[in-house]
Amino acid sequence: MATDTGSRFDGTELRTGIGPDDPRRLGRSAAGIAGFVLLWYAVSLTQPAYVLPSPVAVGEAFAEELAAGTMTTALWSSVRHWIPGTIVGTGLGVAAGVAFSWSGFLDDVTAPLVRTLRPVPPLALIGFAIAWFGINDAGAAFIIAVGAFWINYYASYGAVEGVSEDLLDVGRTLGVRGDLDMVRSVVLPASLPGILTGIRTGLGRCWMLVVASEIFGVPGVGREILRASNNLLVDKVIAYILVLSLMYLLVDVAFRAVQQRVLVWRA
Amino acid sequence: MNGDPRTVEVDGVGKTYAGDGTPVRALDDVSFTAEAGEFVCLVGPSGCGKTTLFRIIAGLTDATDGAVRLGGTPITGPTTEMGVVFQEYHLFPWLTVEENVGFGLERTDRSDAERTERVDAMLDLVGLSDARESYPKSLSGGMKQRVAIARSLAVDPSLLLMDEPFGAVDAQTREMLQRELLDIWSSTEKTVLFVTHDVAEAVTLADRIVVMAAEPGRVAEVVDVDVDRPRERDDPAFGKHVARVRELIGARP
Repeated sequence: MATDTGSRFDGTELRTGIGPDDPRRLGRSAAGIAGFVLLWYAVSLTQPAYVLPSPVAVGEAFAEELAAGTMTTALWSSVRHWIPGTIVGTGLGVAAGVAFSWSGFLDDVTAPLVRTLRPVPPLALIGFAIAWFGINDAGAAFIIAVGAFWINYYASYGAVEGVSEDLLDVGRTLGVRGDLDMVRSVVLPASLPGILTGIRTGLGRCWMLVVASEIFGVPGVGREILRASNNLLVDKVIAYILVLSLMYLLVDVAFRAVQQRVLVWRA
Repeated sequence: MNGDPRTVEVDGVGKTYAGDGTPVRALDDVSFTAEAGEFVCLVGPSGCGKTTLFRIIAGLTDATDGAVRLGGTPITGPTTEMGVVFQEYHLFPWLTVEENVGFGLERTDRSDAERTERVDAMLDLVGLSDARESYPKSLSGGMKQRVAIARSLAVDPSLLLMDEPFGAVDAQTREMLQRELLDIWSSTEKTVLFVTHDVAEAVTLADRIVVMAAEPGRVAEVVDVDVDRPRERDDPAFGKHVARVRELIGARP
């Protein structure tokens, strides 16, 4: 299943795939998945379908939704929330994190504001999403953007804070003058590993937020999950959760590949 | 006053740190001059303010009193007239060897062709032409320091300012780098100010040695090293100078 990488801001984990690359270890990973599905199947035999449907029932629900076209429609809707929400939230988060961390002045101005706004969960902003954007794609994208913003804000802020003072000194002695030049030629490249780890964490979190962002009636995968769950159609719930997992996996694998290419200079 | 842009005058430099309650006097009335094309080493016990003085000369830290002048012009901040080399290399890890060397050149008005030519010349000077596309992570300590030297020389500074540049490499590499530095120095005719705590290194390299004393950091004495180069460690004159400098460092509180 998709799991969020949590607070791993060090970015040391740079393997390409879903699991290990070595075939023997890949075998173990496959065995892990098979074992999990078997266990799930065994437990499901003892439970009614509204508590835990069998993997087979979930597979059937998945195929049904896919064949009926509802799954692709829902996914396409969610992608339309996820993409703009992620891009806007990530962009603003990185920009604000870098700027506020680099500039002592901006940091002083924004620090109290940041501490006030930070604890507000994206879900609590649904009222604002509806008031400002309406019950539509933009409203859902807004919720996702808020989530992406904070993850990227803190990752970028920390990454810039961690840039070695010595590299800045070297830059100065080699003729770097002014904040813009310094940020562009030293601060950003030096903090890029941390920033990219933040972006990657954010990409996963945004798929989680897809569910929350559709809670107020905007169509999408999240909406399907909530609706099926209200009707106790647990097999359908799990089928749509799998869609989110697969999307996360796809994006994460692609992003890891990009990350590795960009950070080729690292050990 | 000497008009040669390579002349460095350290004139009555003092530095006081505010500290917790009692101010700490790190440097007191430090004065000496490095003439154009001269190789001057700064040695002293730990705590004598060598690194503070290095940073003040580089324009990275402000002096509380006095001034540093390069070719008669007071230093008020970092300048590309000074090539600065740090002990820990501080290469930009995201840039290849040639990009590191070319970093300072990007901020000059040289054409692309001139830049490439200059980078080539610098890589050739430090013998790293074959490693030009490598990233710093794959280089040894000695190679990293060669890149750092090439990077600081690329913008053609008047002065090379070095803070224990060979302190982090093994003894063999250190000797090799010392020889290479002397070659570079004699071929480029730059003034070199070289901070070290290693007395034998100072005697190997310097025309003159500024011996510092601690608490507060000050100049104890300036020793002329009138031994012909290349200098051999088993030469009695060499040993005499080492003994003299050691005595100066040890004899002062």
